[in-house]
Amino acid sequence: MVRLLKEVLKNILSKPATIQYPYEETIVEPDYRGRHYADLMKCIGCSLCAIECPADAIKMEKVPDEYKVNPANKRRIYPVINYMKCVFCYRCITVCPTNAYISSNEYRLASKTVIFSRELSLSTVKTG
Amino acid sequence: MGISKVIEIPVVLEIPIGPQHPALHEPLMLKVYAAGEEVVKVEINTGYNHRGIEKLCEKNSFYKDIFITARVCGICNLVHADCFVRAVEHILGIEPSMRAKYLRVLGMELERIHSHMLVNAVLMELIGYDTLFMLIMRDREAIMKAKEILTGGRVLADYVMVGGVRRDVNNEKIDKLKKILDRIEPRIKYYMRIYEEDPTIRKRLVDVGVLEPREITLYSLVGPVARASGIDIDVRRSDKYDAYNDIPFNVIVRREKDVWARMMLRWEEVLESINISKYILEHLPSNEKAVPDERRLPRRFPPGEVFTRVEAPRGELTYYVMSDGKQNPYRVKIRTPSFNNIINTGFSYVGHSIADVPVILASYDPCISCMERAIVIDLSNNTKKYVPLNRIVKGDI
Repeated sequence: MVRLLKEVLKNILSKPATIQYPYEETIVEPDYRGRHYADLMKCIGCSLCAIECPADAIKMEKVPDEYKVNPANKRRIYPVINYMKCVFCYRCITVCPTNAYISSNEYRLASKTVIFSRELSLSTVKTG
Repeated sequence: MGISKVIEIPVVLEIPIGPQHPALHEPLMLKVYAAGEEVVKVEINTGYNHRGIEKLCEKNSFYKDIFITARVCGICNLVHADCFVRAVEHILGIEPSMRAKYLRVLGMELERIHSHMLVNAVLMELIGYDTLFMLIMRDREAIMKAKEILTGGRVLADYVMVGGVRRDVNNEKIDKLKKILDRIEPRIKYYMRIYEEDPTIRKRLVDVGVLEPREITLYSLVGPVARASGIDIDVRRSDKYDAYNDIPFNVIVRREKDVWARMMLRWEEVLESINISKYILEHLPSNEKAVPDERRLPRRFPPGEVFTRVEAPRGELTYYVMSDGKQNPYRVKIRTPSFNNIINTGFSYVGHSIADVPVILASYDPCISCMERAIVIDLSNNTKKYVPLNRIVKGDI
């Protein structure tokens, strides 16, 4: 009991171990599996990621006409990730034949509405 | 003719413990029949968490199943994935490199450490020792960090792949992992000392839920539960899967048979796992490739059937995978350790007080989400047995 009391006193005097999350950022590793999206300059629209996704979170969509994409992407389709369905296993990244995915350690993905990778992917290519 | 004998029938209470977190925060119902404080019978009801993962595996390809089987259980996800991946490797005839095998073992041992720490913390919470619960959980977080450094995910590792692992470690990561393990080791020893010395812990845990070696064999209990009753079984030693052939380690066996012995055995296993992890970090083969190119893995699966097993934190976990030459497995059968350890141990609560029931349950380290996968078998021969009051009065239970 005395032994534990010593530990308790030590902890009262030390810095709290709890992170006040929304106000303070959790420290994550730089290679933590976080938000990822396809770089449309590299994507060739092969749909392999959509086929291999274990959570069925990736759907192939048509790129809007105003965007200029990789010329190898003849069908002008690109993967859109539903982050609410995604399990962040990164299988899409490892099976991609052109290494088109951009990964990050962004873990703050809480949202009241369904979020997709549409805007992030389209921001990698220019319009016009 | 007067009354010669008066029979007083004791009130038998039927107390449902659960299905909202009976011990750990998972759904399982223990229907406890108690005469006063004393437990006379326990019925174990499951089926609140059935997700049909075996069927899901049959509907998806082998590669997708690696991630699906990893989601059977949150705590021991790497162990499940490793067991399935080894089965697929046997079907394909692929042998991963030694470095990959070492890294797999490292991941699994880190998982064992944090799983054992979690159940020890939860048990402390159950006996009302919240201070120790918080201290253990705080130190467990360092191991979760180690797992994040190694695999890229704090809980779900998604680390193993056919032919190796999915990410390698560099010297910087090895140093970080070593530092974490060095920091945790004295803490584990400190907790072991508290378990040995603290009168409250000893009073609540010693001589509670005693399992005789005969009962362990009779009800096929596995893992730390069996080892704490003197049964020397460990798949790591008997199967020598992955790199366990190369790594020196001891199998811990205790003979006290009670809840306290099970928890102390888990602490000793944590120390052993730390030693294994340190050995791996120092002797990691450096001239081999651990990460396979997932784009070049075989797409055709020859027909065949494989039975693999691993020593999960809770005991022996087995996978039976059958391939009929198509993209999807024909059958995936999973037998988890909790299935044996929880459903078969209804007898061990009898004779103890109601307050001991959650303590005994937690000492079996229940993993309901693991266990529920096998519920179909349980339901098919579901024979509910109610004990009439007159038999209880006679003491015939």
